[in-house]
Amino acid sequence: MAEEFNLDGMLDMYLFENRQLLEKLQDTVLEQRDADCFDDDAINEIFRTMHTIKGSSGIMMFDEITTVSHKLEDIFFYIRESHPDNIPHLKLVEHVLTVSDFINAEMDKLADGEQADGSSKEIVAELDRFLSSLKGKKDKDEVIKENVHVEPQQFYIAPMATSNSHFYRIYIMFAPEVEMVNVHAYKIVFGLKDIAEDLLHFPEDLISDEHSGEEIQENGFKILLQTQSGEEELHELIKEGYDIQKVEIAECTASQFQMGFDSFGAEIRIDLESNVEDIEKAAAQREMQENGIESGDFVIVPASEGKKEPEKKIEPGDFVIESKGPGKSKKLAKDKVKKAEKTSFISVDVRKMDQLMDLIGELVISESVVLQNEDLKVPGLKLDNFHKAAGQMVKIATDLQDVIMSMRMVPLTATFQKMNRIVFDCSRKLGKDIEFEMIGDTTEVDKNIIEHISDPLMHLVRNSVDHGIETAEERVAKGKTEKGRITLSAKTESGKVWISVQDNGGGLDREKIIAKARKHELLDPTRLDSSYPDKEVYQLITLPGFSTNDKVTELSGRGVGMDVVVSNIQAIGGVLDIDSTPGKGSIMTMKIPLTLAIIDGIVMQVGNNTFVIETGVVKEFINVKAESVVTKPNGEEFVMIRGEGYPIIRLGDWYHVENCETDITNGMIVMIEVDKECVCLFVDHLIGKQEIVVKPIPDYIKKVKGLSGCTQLGDGRIALILDAAGLLEE
Amino acid sequence: MEEQKEVKKQKYVTFMSGKECFGLKIEYVNEIIVLQEITVIPETEDYIKGLINLRGKIIPVIDVRLRFRQEPFEYNDRTCIIVINVNSTVVGLIVEKIAEVVEISEENLMPSPTIAKQVKSQQDRYVYAIGKVGDSVKLLLDPDKLLHDDMVILEQVSGESEADDTEE
Repeated sequence: MAEEFNLDGMLDMYLFENRQLLEKLQDTVLEQRDADCFDDDAINEIFRTMHTIKGSSGIMMFDEITTVSHKLEDIFFYIRESHPDNIPHLKLVEHVLTVSDFINAEMDKLADGEQADGSSKEIVAELDRFLSSLKGKKDKDEVIKENVHVEPQQFYIAPMATSNSHFYRIYIMFAPEVEMVNVHAYKIVFGLKDIAEDLLHFPEDLISDEHSGEEIQENGFKILLQTQSGEEELHELIKEGYDIQKVEIAECTASQFQMGFDSFGAEIRIDLESNVEDIEKAAAQREMQENGIESGDFVIVPASEGKKEPEKKIEPGDFVIESKGPGKSKKLAKDKVKKAEKTSFISVDVRKMDQLMDLIGELVISESVVLQNEDLKVPGLKLDNFHKAAGQMVKIATDLQDVIMSMRMVPLTATFQKMNRIVFDCSRKLGKDIEFEMIGDTTEVDKNIIEHISDPLMHLVRNSVDHGIETAEERVAKGKTEKGRITLSAKTESGKVWISVQDNGGGLDREKIIAKARKHELLDPTRLDSSYPDKEVYQLITLPGFSTNDKVTELSGRGVGMDVVVSNIQAIGGVLDIDSTPGKGSIMTMKIPLTLAIIDGIVMQVGNNTFVIETGVVKEFINVKAESVVTKPNGEEFVMIRGEGYPIIRLGDWYHVENCETDITNGMIVMIEVDKECVCLFVDHLIGKQEIVVKPIPDYIKKVKGLSGCTQLGDGRIALILDAAGLLEE
Repeated sequence: MEEQKEVKKQKYVTFMSGKECFGLKIEYVNEIIVLQEITVIPETEDYIKGLINLRGKIIPVIDVRLRFRQEPFEYNDRTCIIVINVNSTVVGLIVEKIAEVVEISEENLMPSPTIAKQVKSQQDRYVYAIGKVGDSVKLLLDPDKLLHDDMVILEQVSGESEADDTEE
């Protein structure tokens, strides 16, 4: 179906937008999953999102997605309109997530160039059941029926004019930013029908006509009403509020009423309460409307704060009304939402970003070539203006570089949110009650890294839920809180991103791991169990085929998890640390190099080489006197600072750099601290502090101890980045 | 049509190293640049001279002479870096002098003659064939071997090979 047209561009847009919508939706849902029910904003958001997806899927002719989103939209429409108080919240959350998963899965297929051929039948049936169970207990609200596509719905209200009846012409202008005006209009009609003897409105078809929203937005919404009620009461029902910009109610004669919307000419009645401004506004409005609608002569109602939502008490018998609820026609509204998103974000091919990055690097180099050009060094040259212009150029180039760097950095928030979802799913499946906490989710990491950590992180989180956290009974028996807790945290330390998954579950079972390892002959048979340090034992679980969980569950326990995690992490040059306290829980920390991340670094000179070290690990810079340096017989040196001795690493000797400073009094001591351990680096001199982009040392060169990457300095030279933690190892 | 010709004739970038002329298939060659400032990386093999900044891209450079375990040479203004891309590994080769780009047809290619096949010398393993151009002979290099092949060997016999270095 879809490929009959050239929809490629549209498809990309469709996928991109809907993915974003679903992501946001999921966040909202998970945020409120522990609440008793969704708040109004959330309900509206879900409703809108589903509506948008339904609309765009309809255009793209992905019928199954359309059906599913439509069903969910129905449910939320019902919830929004009827406020049933019996919503099984978790059930609802699950339904929303199921639908969003289904749509995501279908979109994945589409993205791979396949057909969106998944069947929505089951989900739809589930949703139907859910909706009817909701409704079952609230017969009163039956009027709001399912949101089915039917022929244009009509209000038919038997005219039963009595002598007491008044006829009104009501004109409503919605605020321009209001979305789904037709739904708002529908609500008003819904509210009015309680008191209406006869009611006509234009546009007639609010629900299934796609254009009614536009029409209302442009020309206002017009109602002809026959009622016993007075004007005051109408004002009560239709209040100006956040959505209604202006309401004008005018009484008219029965004959004018009969003439419908073409009739005009009743005398202007000015409401006494209205102030001058309002009248003026109304006048202006009328002028505006001149060529638009047949605007009648209306009374201006003073703007009043508060909700416009009319009470919805249905008194059967008052009127005959066939309402099918708002259907397709809310399209307009979300079209606007889309527009807003488009202006704030565009998706860019990462390759183009890389290209841009390279070009800027090139620019910086050629900049320095120009500015330090030999030709400029002719004596007696007047260069004042040149330097001024050059200064400006340097500034722009620096800004440019900053921008491109920041563009590549993405906060971990989205990835962490995904984990939130996983915790929720898994814990529900396993019947465990787990609290999920995120710390440092705004830590920014290069886009490429994010792509690589998602999978391993997912495994770790699943493991924590499945193996780590005990069941509620076990927890209570152990005297712990019934609720388990998983904490996901991220930080940058010594040039690496540390992402840890911590649980307060049972921790790893040392004995069990050793027993299993013995069984698989993974341990040296001559070594005693007790001779293995804890860390080494815990690392065993990362070996292929190792799973200590007795039962293979749906989620984990096949023993593929951990070794995949580790190989994935290693593939990007990271390591996995496992720590555990029996009975208290365990913590798994991924330490991943930042690769292209930006760090704040201290640039130092040693001989002809330039080194950079992350500012975060530097404790202080010291000039020391020769007498405070002590050399041990094995050649190791340490320096006494404030009564403490710190070992010295002479970078020049360490890396066999030529022409480096050897006199300790001429150079500079840089004290670094990693994991509470301090070491002094001896360098020739400091160059300065600057933001640097970490680039990996090309794979071709095998790993050098203590170096974590390299970077390009402003003048195009390359500096090597020291890995503080790596220097301290050994 | 063109394709048919290409099958028979291949273009090679040739360069001088010592007194011999070596050739690299042109498809591997990204570009040829003049010698740049090289950032030394400590603790690496001697033939890996370090890193250069190629328009924002950091690439390693190796000295071909040292790679062949020949005498090091002084870098001068004729010294060039041939940037090659072998299976997306980008490496710069420091060579004494670029010669020219030549076309060698297939019939002029022949396996490189060796004395004893089983004891292939270090240098020889990089040369997969020789090509005749007129009277001269170009030693055609296998870039993949040039970059990677003996990495393993080097590590295995790192002690010995270092000794070799000093002997040569």
